[in-house]
Amino acid sequence: MAIAQIPTTVSHDARSNDTGAIVADVSDPNAAHAAKVADAELAVARLVEMSTDLRGCAILAEDGTPLAASGELEDWGGAAGALLAAADAAASEPAGHVHVGTEDGEVFAVRHEGFALVAASERFALASLMFFDIRAVLRELARGPAAAPGPEVEAEAA
Amino acid sequence: MPPKPHRAILDRVTGYADEASAFLRRRRLTRRPFARIYLPGGRGIALCAETEEGRELFLAASRVLDAAR
Repeated sequence: MAIAQIPTTVSHDARSNDTGAIVADVSDPNAAHAAKVADAELAVARLVEMSTDLRGCAILAEDGTPLAASGELEDWGGAAGALLAAADAAASEPAGHVHVGTEDGEVFAVRHEGFALVAASERFALASLMFFDIRAVLRELARGPAAAPGPEVEAEAA
Repeated sequence: MPPKPHRAILDRVTGYADEASAFLRRRRLTRRPFARIYLPGGRGIALCAETEEGRELFLAASRVLDAAR
């Protein structure tokens, strides 16, 4: 019984013609995560520069993964995640933003479009100003790197 | 008719004591710990440290402040 033979050059041709385009369309999760981390680090640096009363901050992804922090990422990730979890448990639903004042300092947390930013500040920091700065940074982060003003724009504004 | 000298001094001391007590009262009020949670719908919740949820939130906030040191 004869077996139908298909010339192998056909499949090779297909690979050279189509596979490249298919591979190009498949997103690389590692690359996407690295880009997100880089954007978050930039956002943390911007907030540290903007807010004079800020002691430190961290940005978390929607699933609670710490993306960037002004100090040790592990310490910040655990502490920030615990704060958001405690706030969610107290409110019985995901909190939009949180403000806690203690004798040691104040803590702010804001959720925005899949990101959460937790910040620690000096005592008696202006809450409205802190929330404004945090929201501005998170908005830029959510919009992507193209939304952040470049050095030329900042130089012109100055 | 002017007040007696000792009365004027007494009034002044009483005035200073009132000012100081008001200052301490205001300072105590502003230093009292607080926790507020705001929900996406605009609703807000204030928690005190005596409740279980409030205690958890204050402990978590302390951890954040420790991480910032």
